[in-house]
Amino acid sequence: MFQKIIALIIIVLFLVRLFWQKNKKQIKANEFIFWLIFWLIVAVLIINLKLIDALVANLGFSGSGIDVLLYLAIAILFYFIFRLRLKMEKIEKDITEIVRQVALKEKDK
Amino acid sequence: MENRNIKKSEQQKVVVVIPAYNEEKNIIRIIQKVKALVDEIVVVDDGSIDQTYFLAQSQGIKVLKHILNRGQGAALETGNQYALKIGAEIIVHFDADGQFLAEEIKDLVEPIKNGEVDVVFGSRFLGKKSSIPWFKEKIILPIGKLVNKFFVGKSLTDSQNGFRALSKKAVEIIKIENDHMAHNTEIQAKVFKNKFKVKEVPVTIIFNKFGQGILSGKGRGAGGLNIIKDLFLAKLMD
Repeated sequence: MFQKIIALIIIVLFLVRLFWQKNKKQIKANEFIFWLIFWLIVAVLIINLKLIDALVANLGFSGSGIDVLLYLAIAILFYFIFRLRLKMEKIEKDITEIVRQVALKEKDK
Repeated sequence: MENRNIKKSEQQKVVVVIPAYNEEKNIIRIIQKVKALVDEIVVVDDGSIDQTYFLAQSQGIKVLKHILNRGQGAALETGNQYALKIGAEIIVHFDADGQFLAEEIKDLVEPIKNGEVDVVFGSRFLGKKSSIPWFKEKIILPIGKLVNKFFVGKSLTDSQNGFRALSKKAVEIIKIENDHMAHNTEIQAKVFKNKFKVKEVPVTIIFNKFGQGILSGKGRGAGGLNIIKDLFLAKLMD
């Protein structure tokens, strides 16, 4: 129970920070919604940890609910890294194109 | 009268593109050797931090400058685009480190000039003697060939050779998207995909001590493993 309360307090702190950032216009609306939903889902999951334990056991996992959440988090992180890589590659290409256009323009002068 | 010199022997303008990254030791020698043999030279200085740009410019040729180092593939594409702009009919890719022999440019250009093919690749394995180090010949190049076969589908006798000539038509269609060393494989893949007529001609390669290893090489994205990584990424991005 104690752990749950700490976790929920941390989530509330993140949410406060999120609203603060929104007010200061440091983040975009879609980013704000993404993180809002993300933290709310995490909060719901933490409150219902027992339920998740049962669900996870039913699915055939040997670990507890929180373990499975951790596995899922890692899988999602990998996916994000992959997405980032592709995005970076795209940015690299854009930089090259800019450098190329500058080189060609300079020559035209 | 047979004119072995390509320069102005026919109407087709031959432009040599030389990408250069920190080549202050070689660039003048290379330019002087090539200059007399072709219509025009375009050196693309790929963000060198040495005197390459100024030395090349002192030779009275076209020099383009990448303000940042983007890799050999990127420099070649910049050179290609500029060559097309100045009316090139045949474009030759030539290295700035003195690996290739300028006298052999004509061997690569002629089949295109005759209308025989659209693309000519130089090959170290068609008769002419190149001093390839043992490890490179027996280990690295066969692996390179295998990787190439996987990505290109077909294989050339020398899949890892940057000495090539392309017709205007080929350069207009083949846009080099890989900024680093994997452009070599990319060009071959696009040549075959677009069903351009291809010829391989024997060339001599003078080996330098540095060049490319498995993990390292000169400039961005060089080194065998980097090339394979780039090829996979390119596939994914498609």
